[in-house]
Amino acid sequence: MSLISRSFLSRIAARSPWLYRINAGSCNGCDVELATTAFLPRYDIERLGCQYCGSPKHADILLITGVLTARVKDKVLALYEEVPDPKVTVAIGVCPISGGVFRESYAVAGPFENYIPIDVNIPGCPPRPQAIIEGLQKAIVLWADRI
Amino acid sequence: MVEFLSLPLSVLIFPGGLFALGLGLLIKGLDRKVAARLQRRVGPPLLQPFFDLIKLAGKDSLIPAEGHAGLFRWVPLAGPAAMALAAAMIPIAGVYRPSAGLGDLLVLFYLLAVPAVVLMLAGAASGSPFGAIGFSREMTMMIAYELPILLVLLSVAVAVGMAQGGAIALSLSDIVAYQQVHGPFIADPRMWPALLCFLFFLPATLGAMPFDSPEAETEILEGPLLDYSGPLLGVFKMMSALKLVVVLGLGITFFFPNGPDGILGLGVFAVKCAVLAILSVTVVRVSTGRMRIDQAFRFFLKLPLALGTTSLVIVLSGI
Repeated sequence: MSLISRSFLSRIAARSPWLYRINAGSCNGCDVELATTAFLPRYDIERLGCQYCGSPKHADILLITGVLTARVKDKVLALYEEVPDPKVTVAIGVCPISGGVFRESYAVAGPFENYIPIDVNIPGCPPRPQAIIEGLQKAIVLWADRI
Repeated sequence: MVEFLSLPLSVLIFPGGLFALGLGLLIKGLDRKVAARLQRRVGPPLLQPFFDLIKLAGKDSLIPAEGHAGLFRWVPLAGPAAMALAAAMIPIAGVYRPSAGLGDLLVLFYLLAVPAVVLMLAGAASGSPFGAIGFSREMTMMIAYELPILLVLLSVAVAVGMAQGGAIALSLSDIVAYQQVHGPFIADPRMWPALLCFLFFLPATLGAMPFDSPEAETEILEGPLLDYSGPLLGVFKMMSALKLVVVLGLGITFFFPNGPDGILGLGVFAVKCAVLAILSVTVVRVSTGRMRIDQAFRFFLKLPLALGTTSLVIVLSGI
């Protein structure tokens, strides 16, 4: 009985993924795309049950934009610890994946995957809203397995 | 009419506790759906607040290292408890009459302050500077809206009391009974300023858009709730859903309690709650920006205070 009800409850819980955005040194392009994706009526992600939250402690899915700069590295890693388990991380744009055009800069601490596990990569500079929504759906599927 | 249900039943299941929680979450879902439709979005499913609550129950609960762990963990529970009790004190015309043992209008007025106090203590216990800012703003808002709402409450109680030959009627059942005989106060011009004042009070006490600076997520990151996560955050969500029903129910009791008997009366009550919530919370919050805390404070000491005073003076002068 507990097994059935648990899977039922986790299926319900998967319909409420809350998002938290981290800008780890982005040029703001991907952040604008994220804001567009969320708030424009055309790409309303609230219909998936998503909601941006102000605090990392409320979040389920972590959206990371930008290269990891040396200056904010420790703060971003501390923020990652603040998100309660179970959580999923999504890298948005080419910067958190490889560094993009900034990859050889002295100010860049390196690809994100050297520090925290990334579950979904959404490449692009910036990615299109459709790509972001598709990536989010993949992240939600992953997240549903973890709860 | 069910004259009296046993006290624990009325606090825990109907009309407090489970029933109020379900109704509150449903109205919150409706609020989000209607807000989305007003912005021409698809919006979340109607049952989204239920999904959110179930999700939160399964998450980790983090206790901040710099906070006061005991206070942080136990103070949120006072919120839903007080609100379930308050919901059991709201009469539903033709369906439910609270027993006199639960207390009168003054007890309800004090219970209504509990969620704000819980938020203040939670903000203080979390040890975060944003929580402290939320604490001070919550307190400022409370000082601002308590006086106008007290005037509304007095206007209604005095109007009913004078009609009954006494001075003031503090029993909610008496207020409902009076309006069932003499027609609802919404049709009484003496009460229109008080009704308007109550409509200003609703978004302030529910922390909705023009007056949501204590929990502003874009500037102080949801203030007192910043450090809460998982089930403890869910307790706050339950508290706000219950408070929604209590405050809406109070407005309905004051101004338009009339309704048919039995299960139909229950439906009429739910519809009235939903309509009041959409008119005074949803439409207002999608069409305004956030007031600064000093602007909100000054606002409440001008128009709503004047409206509440007007009603009380008219009622007292017996016109």
